[in-house]
Amino acid sequence: MSDTISYLLMAWLDPQLLALTAIGTLAGIYVGAIPGLSVTMAASILISFTFSWDVNHALALIVGIYCGGVYGGSRTAILLNIPGAPSAVVTAFDGYPLAQQGEAGRAIGLSTVMSVIGGLFGTLILASTAPVLSDLALQFAPRDYFLIAVMGLLLVSTLSGKSLARGIFSVALGGIIGLVGMDPVTAQGRFTMGSIDLMGGIHYVVVMIGLFGVAEAFYQLHFLSKEPVRQKVDKIIPAFSMVLKYLPLSLRTGVIGVIVGALPGTGGDIASLFAYDHAKRTVKNPSKPFGQGAYEGLVAPETANNAAVGGAYVPMLTLGMPGDAVTAIIIGALVIHGLNPGPMLMIETPHIFWFTVGNLVLANIFLLIFGLTGIKIFTKVVELPKALLIPLILVLCVVGTYSLNSNMTEVYWMLGFGILGYFLKIFGFQMGPIILGVILGPLLDETYRQAMSSVGDSVSAFLLALVTNPLSLILTSVIVLVLLGNTPVKGWVVGQFQRSQ
Amino acid sequence: MFKPLALGIAISAAAMAFATPTLADYPERNIQGTIQWGAGGATDNVARSLTPHVEEILDTTVVLTNRPGGTGVIGMNHVMRQRPDGYNLLYGAENPQLYQLMGLADFSYDDMHTVNIIGQGLVVIAAPADSPYDSFKDVLEAAKENPGTLRMGGTGAGGLPSTVHAMVNAVDELDVRTVTFGGDGPGITALLGGHIDFMPLSLAAAKEQILGGQLKGLAVLTQNELESLPGVPPITDALPDIGSFLPWGPFWGVFAHEDTPDDIKATLEGAYEQAVNNEEFQDFLRNFGAEPLNLNGDEAQQYLDNWQSVTAWSMYEAGAVETSPEKLGIPRP
Amino acid sequence: MSKKPERLQAGERAFDWLLLLFSGAVFYQAYQITGFSSINSAGAFPIGLSLIMIASSIAVLVNHRRKEKPNTRGPLDELTSFLRQHFPINVLVFCALAVAYLAAIQPFSFFVSTFAFLALTFIYLRQGKIVSSLIISAVAIAVIYVLFTLVFRVYLP
Repeated sequence: MSDTISYLLMAWLDPQLLALTAIGTLAGIYVGAIPGLSVTMAASILISFTFSWDVNHALALIVGIYCGGVYGGSRTAILLNIPGAPSAVVTAFDGYPLAQQGEAGRAIGLSTVMSVIGGLFGTLILASTAPVLSDLALQFAPRDYFLIAVMGLLLVSTLSGKSLARGIFSVALGGIIGLVGMDPVTAQGRFTMGSIDLMGGIHYVVVMIGLFGVAEAFYQLHFLSKEPVRQKVDKIIPAFSMVLKYLPLSLRTGVIGVIVGALPGTGGDIASLFAYDHAKRTVKNPSKPFGQGAYEGLVAPETANNAAVGGAYVPMLTLGMPGDAVTAIIIGALVIHGLNPGPMLMIETPHIFWFTVGNLVLANIFLLIFGLTGIKIFTKVVELPKALLIPLILVLCVVGTYSLNSNMTEVYWMLGFGILGYFLKIFGFQMGPIILGVILGPLLDETYRQAMSSVGDSVSAFLLALVTNPLSLILTSVIVLVLLGNTPVKGWVVGQFQRSQ
Repeated sequence: MFKPLALGIAISAAAMAFATPTLADYPERNIQGTIQWGAGGATDNVARSLTPHVEEILDTTVVLTNRPGGTGVIGMNHVMRQRPDGYNLLYGAENPQLYQLMGLADFSYDDMHTVNIIGQGLVVIAAPADSPYDSFKDVLEAAKENPGTLRMGGTGAGGLPSTVHAMVNAVDELDVRTVTFGGDGPGITALLGGHIDFMPLSLAAAKEQILGGQLKGLAVLTQNELESLPGVPPITDALPDIGSFLPWGPFWGVFAHEDTPDDIKATLEGAYEQAVNNEEFQDFLRNFGAEPLNLNGDEAQQYLDNWQSVTAWSMYEAGAVETSPEKLGIPRP
Repeated sequence: MSKKPERLQAGERAFDWLLLLFSGAVFYQAYQITGFSSINSAGAFPIGLSLIMIASSIAVLVNHRRKEKPNTRGPLDELTSFLRQHFPINVLVFCALAVAYLAAIQPFSFFVSTFAFLALTFIYLRQGKIVSSLIISAVAIAVIYVLFTLVFRVYLP
């Protein structure tokens, strides 16, 4: 027990580790805020730096980067409508309208506090139930991942705005974009039209930067002469009563975040989508309608994506299996430092587990400090004259896209998606469903084929497995219930029920 | 034709501006290292562990960039299109040796200069801990009793499991359902959950799970039992004929443009040889589940040719590819 | 909810027909992958998705019947009204500069072309103010250099 406590507090008491966690968190916020610069990339660069260091120092820095980076994506989403990272796409839906109404400061303040609550909640779950949660995660067979992706598809009704047909078209288009490249099973090219550059596919961050960042830049050109919105800079730190009011929602979406994060193969991006959908379905009277600056629309995704960090550590620390790309790199770092990440990690080197837990808590505290300071300077970005801001946004999009894979072709694609996005915006298509399709398309394709291969391509065996396996049955029922809830059948059932009484 | 010319002028102008271009001074600026696979993978880990030692020897910075995609085609294509001045290096894995066979690209490592073949990964065939099969022999027998029902984890055409599958099929028969995952990690997760029955994996990825008792090692793809993995029999126990393909495994190497000046090639070869020999790195490789090779020059060429011929012919004989290796000028092993 | 049917935007019909056409092309490309060979093949999902695209773009077109036609005389007038509405001179110039900028990056290096792009667009959009535009461009370049090249070691072309 005393060992556990000393491991937990290791990062708190050693000034060097304390400083590294702080630096990591601060750096993470800015890496996360710049579209194209990902936490994955920053963490892998750091591994070269920390090669000769002690392993704890390297871990402290990476934990900081990770927590800061997941949070940082919300900054540019709120201020410029360019999500800094895929997990912040949803944050832009309500965050950017808030900035347009002069509430950028309050939006950032609220999402900071909610991110920290989510992060601490995720860490708590990690510390208390890691072994149980990882056993649960292992139960998910390919068909269950397929069902989760199908559940994700149902979000289209939440994201498509006025026209469902346009929303469905956008999801399918996004799915096609996500499938471009070499088929992972047979190595055949799909929609590559003979181009080597397209063999590797179109990275979804490229699509995201184009559709959100560039399309928005074009759109804003119409309002060149309009005075920028004056930002209110008071009440940046949300009142305690406000935090308390949204706490139930943030705890519910925190649970979503931890579970989705703990599943290897799904992460903060999908968690935040589910959380937003959950908020939209359950919150009857949001502060403003969703999509026009509802605080609930910030609370849900921001709690969920930070809670997913704690979740992603679950399979990594208990099984040595990565929960997402960043934990995959942390595993690489442990290997390079001569440790053996695997099921024996917690037995051979228990200090790694408790050190990480203590470090995550510490990083979240730094997140609160760094997140809430300097907001006023950030909100000035929105007050910049449009004539300066728009060209700078385009350059930022170019640099961000290029730093992703150092590939100029992707930069051309990014501009192409920007122009496409501008047209789609004109004719009332939403960007959310396209991103939904890009994220879920490959997951659906992969898991569907895994599930079919497992049962020898037999449709009947596949359908049977959906209802005979307990976990699959639960997921299938949820999907059926949501579908029924969205159709006239619900009204009919309710009517029958009322009549019988 | 304007673009390449203008690019050439711009670069040579930049090069002249930096310093007098006497080759003996190489390297006089940062070297760009392109990693063919994504961050956190085996190639990435090897590249990032080795590079600090090289930086020390060459007294420069090697800026590592991941350019994943298309089974590594994208990264390799990028390095081949750069100027042959020794400032662009490729950290690659074994895949390019199969590009032509699989129709992915019309080049292979024969079109680059091999600086160093760093090492070779070991391969293990693993099953869940509670699997009814205790050795690879049991799997073969079960697959013969009920053909097409066992579920084998794979990583797609040309991946390690598909090659091992082809080797087995070249000397025996293994009729199974292949379930494709995004890599060793997701495959191991599926094994742990019992969603597949067995999977050929790199030892680097599966070692800890086997030693920790969460997975069962059915066979290692070697002639003899491994010291680091006691109790797991060599695959030749179940299939003596497969011995003709061994030793075989995924490998990692460093490559430069074919037309790089000879003295720069020599500098690079010397530096990488010394770096791979570094004790710290050797320890890393062994702990990682790999065998250090440290080959360059003719030895490296021989290794590459042999690897290509063994793999291509076993895949062809098992019917995994349609193009005959003969057409591509790959001799029989 | 107003009872009055919504009016179609200028160019909306043409755009939605283009989407249907595009969906057809996607279907053709998807069919090229493996045809209808198996429910579990590289082409199965792409074909399914392209059929969804076709169906939903038809649904969008059908919905047009419930809306009023745009307030224009003939296709040519509709085109000009579309361009006037969504492609004012600012958007066109910015778009052209952006395309030229991307094309210039590889031959003329990233920093040179970025500086030129920023300086030109600043001067154009702010209608003059040449000196301050040049200074702001230079500062932006310096920030990008420090942040990306020195700190994150991203190799810019």
